[in-house]
Amino acid sequence: MAQESGDLVSDCQFWLQKLSGWDQASTLETQQDTCLHLPRFQEFLRQMYEALKEMDPDTIMERFPTVRQLLAKTCQNPFILAYDESQKIVIWCLCCLINKEPQSSAESRLNSWVQGLLLHILSPFRFDVKEVGLFTQCLGYDPVDYYPGLLKNMVLSLVSELRENHLNGFNTQRRMAPERVTSLSRICVPLVTLPDFEPLVEALLTYHGHGPEEVLWPQFFEAVSEAFLLRKISLPASAVISLWLRHLPSLEKATLHLFEKLFSRERNCLRRIECLIKDSLLPQAACHPAVFRIVDEMFRCALLETDGAPEVLAALQVFTRCFLEALEKENKQLKSALRAYLPHAPPPLATVLSQLPYDLPPGRWLQPLQHISQLLREAVEAQAHGSHRGPLESWFLLAHFGGWADMAAELLLRSEADPPAALLWLLAFYYSPREGGPQRARTMVQAGAVLHRLRQLSGRGQLSARDLQAAAGERSPADPSAPACGPLVRRLLLGFLLGTPEGRTIAREAVASAPQVFPQDPDWPAGAWSVVGPASAEQRPARESWARPEARLRVPPAPTTGLLLLRQGPPRRWTERRGGVTREHWSFLVEPAARPRPRVSRGLVPPLPRPALALPRGVE
Amino acid sequence: MDPLLQHLERFSEVLAVSRTPHVSTWDQATVRRALQWARYLHHVYQRFCSHESIRTTLERRLHSLRKEGGLGAGPVPELTNFEALAHCDILLSLRLLKNPALGNAACHYLLQQLFPGQGVPDADGETLQDGLASLARRGSAVHMLRFYGYRENPNLQEDSLMKTQAELLLERLQEVGKAEAGDPGKFLCSLWERLPQKNFLKVVAVALLEPPLSPRSQGEELELGSPQILREGSQELVHWLLGKSEIMGAFCRNVPAGLLTLVAGRHPVLSHAYLSVLTDWSRHLYYDLQKGVWVGAESQDVPWQELYTRFQSLCQAPPPLKDEVLTALKSYKAQDGDFEVPGLSIWTDLLLALQSSA
Repeated sequence: MAQESGDLVSDCQFWLQKLSGWDQASTLETQQDTCLHLPRFQEFLRQMYEALKEMDPDTIMERFPTVRQLLAKTCQNPFILAYDESQKIVIWCLCCLINKEPQSSAESRLNSWVQGLLLHILSPFRFDVKEVGLFTQCLGYDPVDYYPGLLKNMVLSLVSELRENHLNGFNTQRRMAPERVTSLSRICVPLVTLPDFEPLVEALLTYHGHGPEEVLWPQFFEAVSEAFLLRKISLPASAVISLWLRHLPSLEKATLHLFEKLFSRERNCLRRIECLIKDSLLPQAACHPAVFRIVDEMFRCALLETDGAPEVLAALQVFTRCFLEALEKENKQLKSALRAYLPHAPPPLATVLSQLPYDLPPGRWLQPLQHISQLLREAVEAQAHGSHRGPLESWFLLAHFGGWADMAAELLLRSEADPPAALLWLLAFYYSPREGGPQRARTMVQAGAVLHRLRQLSGRGQLSARDLQAAAGERSPADPSAPACGPLVRRLLLGFLLGTPEGRTIAREAVASAPQVFPQDPDWPAGAWSVVGPASAEQRPARESWARPEARLRVPPAPTTGLLLLRQGPPRRWTERRGGVTREHWSFLVEPAARPRPRVSRGLVPPLPRPALALPRGVE
Repeated sequence: MDPLLQHLERFSEVLAVSRTPHVSTWDQATVRRALQWARYLHHVYQRFCSHESIRTTLERRLHSLRKEGGLGAGPVPELTNFEALAHCDILLSLRLLKNPALGNAACHYLLQQLFPGQGVPDADGETLQDGLASLARRGSAVHMLRFYGYRENPNLQEDSLMKTQAELLLERLQEVGKAEAGDPGKFLCSLWERLPQKNFLKVVAVALLEPPLSPRSQGEELELGSPQILREGSQELVHWLLGKSEIMGAFCRNVPAGLLTLVAGRHPVLSHAYLSVLTDWSRHLYYDLQKGVWVGAESQDVPWQELYTRFQSLCQAPPPLKDEVLTALKSYKAQDGDFEVPGLSIWTDLLLALQSSA
């Protein structure tokens, strides 16, 4: 306790000095400095209150002789009083100083001094609006009656001034000076969470000045971003998107915030994933190619970091789907602007992949799947020979549109004929992109064998778990520690279990009793089930009913630590703003020669105040 | 219903007393009870604010609490409308805090009740503590906007401070009008005597322009209620302005030309009066041959420049008003002899100046 109060005393000194410097927040620099320190100061006030409430007034004056000065100066600073809960905490601190039964005149004077300060806080700066004050007094109104109306009128008039700038164009007289807009954005920093200020915040975010530089204060963006993520302010989508376009760190923070929610320890079903992604407004914002590329990049980093964890994969696929829906709503087609969104994808491949044929009957799936398989194979083989981009580039593209893999698996399970090599290759590539040629061929053969055995089972009627184990195949004698079957085989088995009526009856038992096929895992990765079954609506209820803790699917970690090449590192901070028709606000393309591999937990947003984001790793 | 109405009356008296030295007799129990009453009325507000009929009854009773003769005669009634119930607890708390006569123990108790500290949940949303903190926060916001973001709008009718005052004035007028023994005219006269006149007249002018007719602001809702009521309030103001010639004269003198033109355009009755005032002013000027300008005989006469500015503003108004003014000017010029030469008739000179600037 003594040590704490010792710290507090020195903090007191520090803040007292700061406050004296800020005086009444009169100059630009003091305003800036004040805004920077607001959260820390509030934290300090909270600590002070915790300490003060345990003591009586005399002890307080002994331990913290400067507390009166500190509180008095705080009350003179409108920025501090306007911020969040600071005014409440100051009031609490002041109440701690009151003597219940003043023994001496000094104590009485202290009491009245405290009361005076309290009143000052509660009816602040009334003398400013003198005419208004006199008027309202005569009419019999109190500040509590008319402050909300006054605030609303002031905000509305500022909003209409800001909006007029758009309409007036060249009418320089009515235009708001840039310094004034900057100053307004600075005032908004402590007041972002006040509901009355929402129209002003929105107007500032959607305000476009006439010069090339950004006029809004960077801290304003940070404050809005923080308030938005914590749901302390409600803004329309257009304002939020404008925020992200103008301030890159807030976009990154929003994406990381979404990742945190998606990849937490608790189980997230697909519907919830979709809800979370849609609520974040990121798919809508991604209709701007620059935003899409940033978010895509972050997904890529997450996938690399977690070696292709199913949750991340599932989230990417849901995000892509929501993004395509949003594009359609804006009457844009991906194929017309493919280069803008996926600049490094070969156009024919990207075009074909992005057009998932939801309405085609399964009988017509083979042709497009074979086409995709062929294109991918060509791309991968070209990439493997020398270029610095690896096959993972193509895999990442395919990963966006995981529905194709689901279709391929279903087709394989349904058909009676021999499995086409193209489909086997596609699935093998999807589940193990890092395999070399010979290894992949072996996987394909193994998968073919499993399919053959499953086909034999399906005619038989009653099945048992042992049958399934037999179908999975023998454990490889050369490598007893390796799991009995790779992810592809597991996928086929699961597809079989869920796809046939006989399979469904034994599914739960089969999965529980075959740990080497379906490894038990304490973390239930939600996205695992998304790789089972195509993403069509009628399949969903069946799939979700199987989300039981016993039945799990996990992509085992890649045995190699081979590094995955990236085409670029994390996007560089926004340096320039491009005006023009599309109103793209910054350029961010960087093609550095050699960048260290980014780590999602640290590198994306360097000054993240929170501890590193811990995403599930490949190996527990 | 009756008990509720009685409670309203009693609490109104409590509020009135909370400002006086009588609170020195209050002890902790009294303070507690007063706060409980305030909280109770706050609940009443929340429950009935959407109940049209109950709300009207309560409002009527509150209006009838006004003493005879409006504000000028008796003390200001504390709870004047239903909206006031929403924050009667904050009102009471602030008044008690401000009152130096409140005893030490009672004051200490009051502070404990008002600011109990962290983590005290209340069943119905915002606690009194949150309400007071919110008031403080809004006050700081107003200050910051005023000091760092506010520019007085040259169009006074769009200026936020003016608009707020105008809205408050119209709201009060509406209540006075609804009260049984209410006399808006007398109310306005009392305000006229007590307030700085220039500002008051400007507020009246802005109030005469509510609700704004421009298409852009039609989407904005005023808190006051239907446009019908606002028009009634405007009528009262017009009536009062036309009542005494000195008021109308001061009105025309102190309100800026542009604003006055808008008001005249909106209220044709006022435009006639305005025109006659201007005519009267013009007749006071005579032509000084040496200086070659029109000057007034006495110091309080309106100078030529101002007269000209006002006429110019009127001639830039939309048609009915503009035509009326020009017709009047031309007829006065004809009455004077229809001279074309400057220096003989003020009407000629005005028309010449207006035409040359047009």
